[in-house]
Amino acid sequence: MKEFSQIISYSLPILYMVVIYIYYLIFTEKTKTLANKTTPILLFLVVCHLIEIITRSIAIDSMPLSTTHDAYAFIAFSITLVYLISEIGIKSRGAGIFILSFALILELLSSYNMSWEPETNPLLVDKTFAIHASLSIMGYTALSLAAIYALLYILQNNNLKKRNLGNLFMQLPALNYLERMSSRSVLTGIILLGIGILLGHYQAHVMIGEFWPKDIKVIVSDVVWLLYVVGFVFTSIKKWRGEKMAYLSFYGFLILIVGGGIIIYMSNSFHKFN
Amino acid sequence: MRDQIPLRVIGISHNTAPVEVREKVALSEDEQMIAIKHITGNTDADGCILLSTCNRTEIYVSGPNVNTTIDQIAPWLNELKNCVEYTDRNITYQIHGSEAAEHFCKVIAGMDSLILGEQQITGQVKDSYDMTHGLKGTDALINKLFNFGMQAKKKVHNETFLSDGTVSVSFAGVELARKIFSDLSDKKILLIGAGKTAELAAYHFQENGVKHINVANRTMENATELAKKLHGKAYQLDNLARVLEETDIVISATSSETYVVTADIIRPISKMRHHRPLFLIDLAIPRDIDPEIEKIDGVFLYNLDDLQDIVKSNLEKRKKEIPKAMKIIQEYVDEFQQWVSMNSMNNVVGMLKSKLDVLRMNELERLKSKLPQNGYKSEIENLTESIINKVVRQHVKSLKKVAHDPEQYRQQVEMILRIYELDSEN
Repeated sequence: MKEFSQIISYSLPILYMVVIYIYYLIFTEKTKTLANKTTPILLFLVVCHLIEIITRSIAIDSMPLSTTHDAYAFIAFSITLVYLISEIGIKSRGAGIFILSFALILELLSSYNMSWEPETNPLLVDKTFAIHASLSIMGYTALSLAAIYALLYILQNNNLKKRNLGNLFMQLPALNYLERMSSRSVLTGIILLGIGILLGHYQAHVMIGEFWPKDIKVIVSDVVWLLYVVGFVFTSIKKWRGEKMAYLSFYGFLILIVGGGIIIYMSNSFHKFN
Repeated sequence: MRDQIPLRVIGISHNTAPVEVREKVALSEDEQMIAIKHITGNTDADGCILLSTCNRTEIYVSGPNVNTTIDQIAPWLNELKNCVEYTDRNITYQIHGSEAAEHFCKVIAGMDSLILGEQQITGQVKDSYDMTHGLKGTDALINKLFNFGMQAKKKVHNETFLSDGTVSVSFAGVELARKIFSDLSDKKILLIGAGKTAELAAYHFQENGVKHINVANRTMENATELAKKLHGKAYQLDNLARVLEETDIVISATSSETYVVTADIIRPISKMRHHRPLFLIDLAIPRDIDPEIEKIDGVFLYNLDDLQDIVKSNLEKRKKEIPKAMKIIQEYVDEFQQWVSMNSMNNVVGMLKSKLDVLRMNELERLKSKLPQNGYKSEIENLTESIINKVVRQHVKSLKKVAHDPEQYRQQVEMILRIYELDSEN
């Protein structure tokens, strides 16, 4: 099982690249034939990724969310899955190349750095952890998507303003759709991440007797979540929208990712509570 | 395998004749019915299909003597339409064989249309075919041609960008609006000006799902009249700022010499609208809308030149797709040609089999009296039948061998017809 899981893990980025290449061909209008076939292709990719997650879980005998790399892989999977659902809904494939490229970066970070040793930390095999980690990751996925949609909004707005009505303009969805998707994703991210963080605190309280453990990741996550909540409430009251909101959403996420990424890389496993 | 298709087309189109001639020779539905009955009833044609639109009138005929058939049809059409154009070689064109099949595919795919890649023609060809088929005016060849044409069109549409992107200025406005709002059904449009240009643009948006269209004009009477037609409200131009607050799309087409919509009007409105997108289309010359407003967040302004640039670039894009579309059409023409060849081979083989069967039966009849009673009758019948089948199979084999070479194939068929004296009898 371990070998099989490893083969899938290492081939997954290649599969992502093939799918992205197909989206590139569609985006640059080099093919029209493939444009109607992306949904089954993407579905195949999602199924392969799901198999990888399941087989890895069996191979390491624990939930595959216990390491940073697993978390990246799970975010990549969630992004691809959410994109697949939205593509079926709006029948527009223009955003695919951007969203899947982002998923590929996460998948690359994940696939070639994975540890195949079974998890021994009792904190990470706890069931509450599984829910906490899943919700947190889904929250991050939603926030990632919000940032991607915001970036696409900025691009499309720029196209319309500067009359760049080429391939990029034609392939991207309508402005109001991108705006709606971005703000909905932010709200979804805030809710999921909020519940995930709360469960994390509860788990810490049960396991180590501290509701607010002095862990830098916990502190950063709390601060980032709080900033998102404040930002969301503020912009909703002020009725901010359009370009201004897109920039805020995109740069807000960049700060989160850069900050969060640096901190995650500074530690070896997800939560080492000293 | 080329030029074995017994098909010919005579036509007058936008490529060969101006609109005055085209409307003169165009056939009404009743005239088309009369013509179909005449062509299939009084000429050598086995089948036909008539296509008469504002841009072309074409008559496709099939049958063994298509060349002479066309010569019979053209003067008759002159008589029917009381004109001389059908026999005027300067404005009519005649195409035959595989080139006629290729032309049909190009027409059905919109490649021979006035606006390259337009889709309307497919429906018109289908209607013409249905009418002819209903009057029993089509034969196997025309039926097959129509099938191949439709398949070629579908593939061209699915695999090339020949029909993509708008090529009309008013539709370019609608497409841009869709790229901002996606769904237009709940969007509010304000027409500034109550002239023909504004009215036509409004109808275009209405056709594409817009329900709320209001009109603002200097003369209230004209605004009211147009608003009534569009089921909207009329406003004085003085109330522009108030109306714009609730508007998503503005179409301006007045004859004003100065800007009707300025940045000073839009700036405070945009703030009040919380930068909700506002799309403005300036169709007026001189322009009605101050280009300064483009700098405002959430405001998108396009003028007539911008829309024409979109149309031009889309047309260029369509032109680039022609080689790809032609390749697809060629595939279908080749397939059609093969079908025709197979069909003609089946006819020759059928004739040969019948001829040999007649010979066999005659010989058996003669032999019958010489055979002893109850002796070998069925065995001899089986034996002769088997010999004939083997001979026929041998000819089929040799025809298939040269099927890739049209000249050799033709010679082979002629040889069979000559040896067995089939052509004189059929």
